[in-house]
Amino acid sequence: MRDLVEFGIDELEKKDIQYGDFRLSEIDMEVINVKNGTVEAIKSSESKGYGIRVIDGGWGFASSADLTEQGIKNTIKRARKIARASSKASEPIELKEVEIHQDSYTTPYKKDPFEIDLEEKLEYLLDVDEGMDIDEKIKVRKCNFNAWKTKKFFASTEGARIEQDLIKTGGGLSVNVSDGEDTQTRSYPNSFGGDYNSRGYEFFENLELLEHAEETAQEGVNLLDAEQCPEGEMDIILNTNQLALQVHESCGHPTELDRALGTEASYAGTSFMTPDKLNDLRYGSDLVNLVSDPTAVGGLGTFGYDDEGVKAKKVELIKDGMFVGYQASREGAAKVGTEVSGSMRADGWKNLPLVRMTNINLEPGDWSKKEIIEETDKGIIFDGIKSWSIDDKRLNFQFGTEAGYLVEDGEITDLIKNPTYTGITYEFWRNCDAIAGKEDWILHGVPNCGKGEPPQTMQVGHGCAPSRFRDIRVGVGKW
Amino acid sequence: MVGSEQDFERISEKLEKEARADEIEVRIIKNDTALTRYANSQIHQNVGQEDVDVSIRAVFDNKTGAASTNSLELDSLKRCLSKAEKIAKYQEGDPDFKGLPETKEQKIVKENYVKDTAKFTPDQRAQKVKEIIEMASNEGIDRVYGAFQTQVQNLFVANSNGVKKFSRFTSANLTTTAIADWDNDQGFGWSEMCSSNVRDIDHMQVGKTAVEKGLNNLNTKKIDLGEYDVVLEPLAVQSILMYMDMMGFSAKKVQEERSFMKGKFGEQIMDEQVNIYDDVSDPDMIGYPFDYEGVPKEKVEIIKDGVANEVVYDSYTAGREEDKESTGHALPMPSPMSPLAMNLLMDTGEYSQEEMIEETDKGILVTRFNYCRPVHPVKGILTGLTRDGTWLIEDGEIKHPLKNLRFTQNLLEAFNNIEGIGKERKLFPMGFYPAYFAAPALKINDFNFTGTTEF
Repeated sequence: MRDLVEFGIDELEKKDIQYGDFRLSEIDMEVINVKNGTVEAIKSSESKGYGIRVIDGGWGFASSADLTEQGIKNTIKRARKIARASSKASEPIELKEVEIHQDSYTTPYKKDPFEIDLEEKLEYLLDVDEGMDIDEKIKVRKCNFNAWKTKKFFASTEGARIEQDLIKTGGGLSVNVSDGEDTQTRSYPNSFGGDYNSRGYEFFENLELLEHAEETAQEGVNLLDAEQCPEGEMDIILNTNQLALQVHESCGHPTELDRALGTEASYAGTSFMTPDKLNDLRYGSDLVNLVSDPTAVGGLGTFGYDDEGVKAKKVELIKDGMFVGYQASREGAAKVGTEVSGSMRADGWKNLPLVRMTNINLEPGDWSKKEIIEETDKGIIFDGIKSWSIDDKRLNFQFGTEAGYLVEDGEITDLIKNPTYTGITYEFWRNCDAIAGKEDWILHGVPNCGKGEPPQTMQVGHGCAPSRFRDIRVGVGKW
Repeated sequence: MVGSEQDFERISEKLEKEARADEIEVRIIKNDTALTRYANSQIHQNVGQEDVDVSIRAVFDNKTGAASTNSLELDSLKRCLSKAEKIAKYQEGDPDFKGLPETKEQKIVKENYVKDTAKFTPDQRAQKVKEIIEMASNEGIDRVYGAFQTQVQNLFVANSNGVKKFSRFTSANLTTTAIADWDNDQGFGWSEMCSSNVRDIDHMQVGKTAVEKGLNNLNTKKIDLGEYDVVLEPLAVQSILMYMDMMGFSAKKVQEERSFMKGKFGEQIMDEQVNIYDDVSDPDMIGYPFDYEGVPKEKVEIIKDGVANEVVYDSYTAGREEDKESTGHALPMPSPMSPLAMNLLMDTGEYSQEEMIEETDKGILVTRFNYCRPVHPVKGILTGLTRDGTWLIEDGEIKHPLKNLRFTQNLLEAFNNIEGIGKERKLFPMGFYPAYFAAPALKINDFNFTGTTEF
């Protein structure tokens, strides 16, 4: 592999180009899905290839799985041809200068998930499935294990040589329940496949799916008879699994500089957080501090270096409620005069790196979750992602969760179903008046963030602690 | 890189000889994607990607294992086969799995492969984009955005029961967003065109439509929330059809009581004008004539004259029911999403979009929707926002542009409130999987808007 990388970069250096980089990856993936007592899927995949970026009048990118020297030469030729075509409608491109590294990085982990016997993982999931089999109203029981291992080489014509070994692991469980009239879903530890971290098999073990199987299934059944979410304005408390998504959609995406500069305008959308608002927009209350932190231990968006060779570092996005920073590429940072955040990542070897969230974390506050509930007169706790939608500038959002818990006079009273809440991003965060502390802070993983054309999927992390937001509209729509 | 039908046949034959499993399936997907993205009237991304994926399903009795690789080297392929067989052996077996599909007559013979699309060059894409940028600039818009994509997709499926299929098709898709700036205000306009033949893409028409919409979208106003009659352009209808598909049109969703079609077959669930069907053979449609298990696709009349009629099946979901056969709608297996209608069409009606507007006393014209998501899939409740051009209609005329609105709407109720269906339909890609939808414009009464945004 290293020889191919050196060959590729040698070939690029021979060309009369402004810039070139060569990124070779080898990705292994394992998925186990168990459903209703049987194995729905066990799948193992491996993929190896490389992507080449050049600036040669304009940007050009080509990727291939042809690992021969001739294949690399052909792909460089293709990338240059594309770059020269881009120059028909392209301004001069400037990359902000960054420190050039020759280094390596390995995800810290205890147990390699690919070394754990398949039978052991399968038996465990079948036990989890059995643990959920407690009521005939449960129509679908699902649980899963997922793991990824990536070996990645990066080299640039500026002299960068970086080698990384990344491991990610996770899983979850869920039930779909029906009584013929209504249908509900309940999941643990989060919806859409559970939770994920840049850790080894120990992370999957610590999820304790088996210990949570029965109670999750029972709450799913209970949701069928729960009251419908009330309509109106009230205080809401977001548990970490839902708050992670709120951070993702209403802070993560709008602080991506490429969106703010319009490069996703025709697809994912733009951002209300435009460069003229930097250091001027009150995004949230004084309590709100949000960072991009690819150095966070265990985060699904944790790495040593991004796909431009920039070393991982923590960057402030929102400080004491003010908008102070972007997630920025070298090109974007040069345009706006901001800091390069080390956020450029590509989905596999095949795709072009884009500005992608790393771990976008809400820093812990001074409260405890218990205190927040005790000091809430009337409100709803939202738990478990179910539905999420936000406009293309990331202002108007509407989220729904699997379950809600009514809080009255400082105590949790009733379970409620189909809870929804809606708002405008900056108004919502300005109404944040309580954030729980480190003891309640959890670093969640979102494995399926979509962006770009052709579409790319990225694994990102969000750390947060339960938080309260005042006077939020809940119970949207006709039921 | 090797990649012909003959190469794939040789690979599958070698693997079949090597296999120890009772049955094996070899599926090879090879995609060549070329895409030019532009933003702020500049090309900012321009990519060429080629990849191949070889997936092997190994079956012992009713136990299946799957593994995949993107290497066509014999050693890698053998390792992949061995992994699939090992995985299969670990399992306890699934009584609902009745084996890999048998051969079946291929009634639909179709190959939407157009050489001009396959050979379209980066220079040609860049030139078309440049012409859009120049045209927009001449109209006073210096900010156009979009993507011009051409693709060649190849699918080969063979199994040890004698199934052996190969097909390929090309697609070309051009999108343009125009943002008009005037006096601290912005107007958004959008247009899109999709075809198997890149020569059918009228890039100047796409650009002009987006520019015209952008210029007419300045000075947006807010409107009170509530129920309005709407005229939905075809792309807005496509978004709704896509979510109906994912929420309701699959046999798996019905079997698991997760579909709004469950228990409704034979019932009138939509207006009687509504006919929705999956049919790759339709001249308006592009795609493979068989699914990812090599089963020929059949026309499936999902909603017939407004009645819940049938849903799509793969071999697994067909095997769960008596006397049921796959309709040819498997995704790459194993897949929790399979089966899925991937060539969905809605029948046209008699109205032009202009006539729909003329016959509206007070309503809203919607170009397209953004970020739709199910709120309650079984009740068919969807939320999303309007995007890139929304206007108030009063007394049969477009009055003024509106700030974007959020809807939260039961889709079955909406499709019961259809007053008119457009007489033309347009083809759009789904965005993931090679799935395409052909949708007409619709006029729907009492569409529920529950929120608004600031632009």
